[in-house]
Amino acid sequence: MKSRSALRTPHSAFLLISPTWLVLGLLFLAPLAIMLWLSFQQRGLYGGIEPGPTLANYVRSFESGYTIIYARSVWIAVATTMTCLLVSYPVAYYIALKARPERKSLLLALVVIPFWTSFLVRTYAWMFILRDQGVINSLLMSLGIIHEPLPLLYTPLAVMIGQVYAEVPFMVLPIYASLEKLDRSLLEAARDLGAGAAAAFWRVTVPLAMPGTVAGIVLVFIPSLGTFITPDLLGGAKGMLVGNLIQNQFGPALNKPFGSAVAMTLTAFVLALLWAYAGWARRRGEEVAL
Amino acid sequence: MKRFIALCVLLTLLGCGGKDDGKRLNVYIWTNYITQELLSQFTAQTGIRVKFDVYDSNEAVLEKLASGASDYDIVVPTDYMVRILVKQGLLVPLDRSKLTNLANITPKFRDLPFDPGNRHSVPYLWGTTGFAYNKAKVGKALDSWVAVFDERWKGRVLMLDDMRECFGVALRVLGYSANSTNVSELAAARDLLVKQKPLVKTYNSSDFAGILRSGDVWIAHGYNGELAKACDEDKNLAYVIPKEGCTVWVDNLCIPKSARHVEAAHAFINYMLEGKNIGAVVNAMSYACANDAARPFIKPALLADPTRYPDEAALKRCNLLGDLGESLQLRDRYWTEVKAK
Amino acid sequence: MLRAVTWVVYAFLYAPIAVLVVFSFNSERQTAIWKHFTLDWYRVLFRDELIGHAVVNSLIVGVMATVVATVIGTMAGLALARHEFRGKRATMSLLYLPVIVPEIVVGAALVSLFGFIAMRLSLTTVILAHIAFSISYVALVVRARLAGFDRSLEEAAMDLGANRWQTFWRVTLPLIAPGVLAGALLVFTLSIDDYIITSFVAGPGATTLPLQIYSMVKTGVTPEINAVSTLLLVVTIGLIAAAQRLETSKR
Repeated sequence: MKSRSALRTPHSAFLLISPTWLVLGLLFLAPLAIMLWLSFQQRGLYGGIEPGPTLANYVRSFESGYTIIYARSVWIAVATTMTCLLVSYPVAYYIALKARPERKSLLLALVVIPFWTSFLVRTYAWMFILRDQGVINSLLMSLGIIHEPLPLLYTPLAVMIGQVYAEVPFMVLPIYASLEKLDRSLLEAARDLGAGAAAAFWRVTVPLAMPGTVAGIVLVFIPSLGTFITPDLLGGAKGMLVGNLIQNQFGPALNKPFGSAVAMTLTAFVLALLWAYAGWARRRGEEVAL
Repeated sequence: MKRFIALCVLLTLLGCGGKDDGKRLNVYIWTNYITQELLSQFTAQTGIRVKFDVYDSNEAVLEKLASGASDYDIVVPTDYMVRILVKQGLLVPLDRSKLTNLANITPKFRDLPFDPGNRHSVPYLWGTTGFAYNKAKVGKALDSWVAVFDERWKGRVLMLDDMRECFGVALRVLGYSANSTNVSELAAARDLLVKQKPLVKTYNSSDFAGILRSGDVWIAHGYNGELAKACDEDKNLAYVIPKEGCTVWVDNLCIPKSARHVEAAHAFINYMLEGKNIGAVVNAMSYACANDAARPFIKPALLADPTRYPDEAALKRCNLLGDLGESLQLRDRYWTEVKAK
Repeated sequence: MLRAVTWVVYAFLYAPIAVLVVFSFNSERQTAIWKHFTLDWYRVLFRDELIGHAVVNSLIVGVMATVVATVIGTMAGLALARHEFRGKRATMSLLYLPVIVPEIVVGAALVSLFGFIAMRLSLTTVILAHIAFSISYVALVVRARLAGFDRSLEEAAMDLGANRWQTFWRVTLPLIAPGVLAGALLVFTLSIDDYIITSFVAGPGATTLPLQIYSMVKTGVTPEINAVSTLLLVVTIGLIAAAQRLETSKR
């Protein structure tokens, strides 16, 4: 019995957890703290830092020239999320409720595999498909359907396609998980009580699958908010998003304090969203580890 | 599994290890600016192993050096950036006694205003930033920057993804200096660039020549060397130094203060000053060099090509970009507004 | 109807990848019109020193990050699943941070740190960054795995006289191995694929494969990129398949 309790001493817990504290403290919290500090400093002439403290960077980050960038970022994230939802729901529904049980794991694996492939490779694939000499235009031109290539690459449409393509698996999986747990007898009961297929879907399936749906929305929305490679490569660097703004301030614009202020604002926004989500989920009595 | 991990660790040691005997060199250079063959030859001659990374904006160099966290021994900044780097104390003075080939530099490229007496820099390649266009698609001869603001070429224009160069174009079209720091002139340039935006297919500083050649755009703002190569491959393309003038630039070999292989860096600069070597870069990359000893090694067709080696009349219209100082912030703000619209 | 929509979505997911692979064997360079079969682009690729160098860098970073993050993350997962200790809730929040803070912020913050302590950027800083963002994934996966774990086996082993280390190596580790392996695989994939954070913290000569691919993509669409993409696809899918087999055979 002595040895058994030894396994549980706080002492060994401390030994097990301290490397994580050390690494995340030094390489995660410390950098964020430095960034927070930076966001209150002033920029030097050529990318240097002049001691603050000042709120000027935060004030500047809410000027109209910049809020339009946040508005576009939020818009792109919302549009990506909604499109993903529309695309993913039928797939999740089909796999969870319609597909033969022995095929489910294969169908799920097929959704996940693209996620394991390189993000850059997936974005590049769309450049290859959408450009003027790409697959779509070459095909349409060789069939004589069009004579001038359609402008597809470097458009907002291209950015949306790339975004949705990258995020779909993160929407399908949680919705699937919710639908899979759904008690089918409830659906049957609804039908027995005279509800039509549509009514049963909207009144029973959708509310019961809500936890997974909301989880999917959160999982897609947050990364979409910080995206900046897709607009660069597929959008032709035309519609600046908050990710590009931060990268730009740390790079060519040589203004780390301002870039830090924008980054901190973005982080605060994301954390607030998650906090709201966690509150929502807790009220529904789900276990949320936040 | 154990054997796999052992193998990996071994691999890691092989990769990271190796003592630093001063026989190494880290080069930070523009994309398409040096050939692997030259680096291999340099290693064969001197035993110095070279690693190189590429960038596509001068600001990237400043950012890396100013961060204090970089480890480069050679950087290749453009004229105005040399001035900024010197002011910031980020470059070491060159040891002229180690640069025995200095005499090869064309006299008019010595002692330029951005680095009097070449104390910190040695010219490497130079060129102009104009535009090239597809004669067959456009259907007429272009000679003015007005072309990149012409509604007729909507969706067929490529601009460099470069704040300095884009503002330069707009300011010139409006009749102002490309180095203007005047607030109302800059605001007018911003408005022009915002108006231009629907015409622009993409902002791109790395693949402007390739995109032009592929036919995705008909007019491409860009650096002359790569555009000249595209013109050679496709006779429908032509490069223009517009009548309003354009940027002429000189890129320079410099040694950052943080360099750890100063000796090797000097050896490299001296190596690149040899006519045969810099001539090989000119032949491969199509930019002009500021080196008299290189002329016998450069293909005669390149020397005779006005796109690569413009005549004096054309050069008169061009000027160097200057150091903007505090006004840079305003431009960045305006540039962000252009990109955000 | 539902079925049809599902197939369309699968086509959307796989068509781009298929196109990429097919055209890596196309002899035509400029356009996406099929000419005839060639292996030229692969030959070009294998002779390309820059890509070779980037692959070696990516492997070094991937393996180092995976080994370190898996060990530390597994320890954290064990502690969280097994022990009550002060600051446990805070630790959970801390572990979620790298998962939710946008990558661009992480990259910018890390480069600020390295600048602040005047640490030179190199392959080492890349490895450190990758360890930092991947510990969480391992810890969370291992913790989830341990949640449904039967303690009585360990207690039986100890009652039979095994000491703590023996119990750990002979009983605990084999039981959590699938979780550890899944975590390690996740770390390796994340590390091999990371562009954003790496682009901030990479120093001279520390160009990894994603950085190399990005600069290739920026400088023009070429069949070599199709070829390198295809190879990358084969490797990642091979890795997942191997891990799957390993896990099923364990059961």
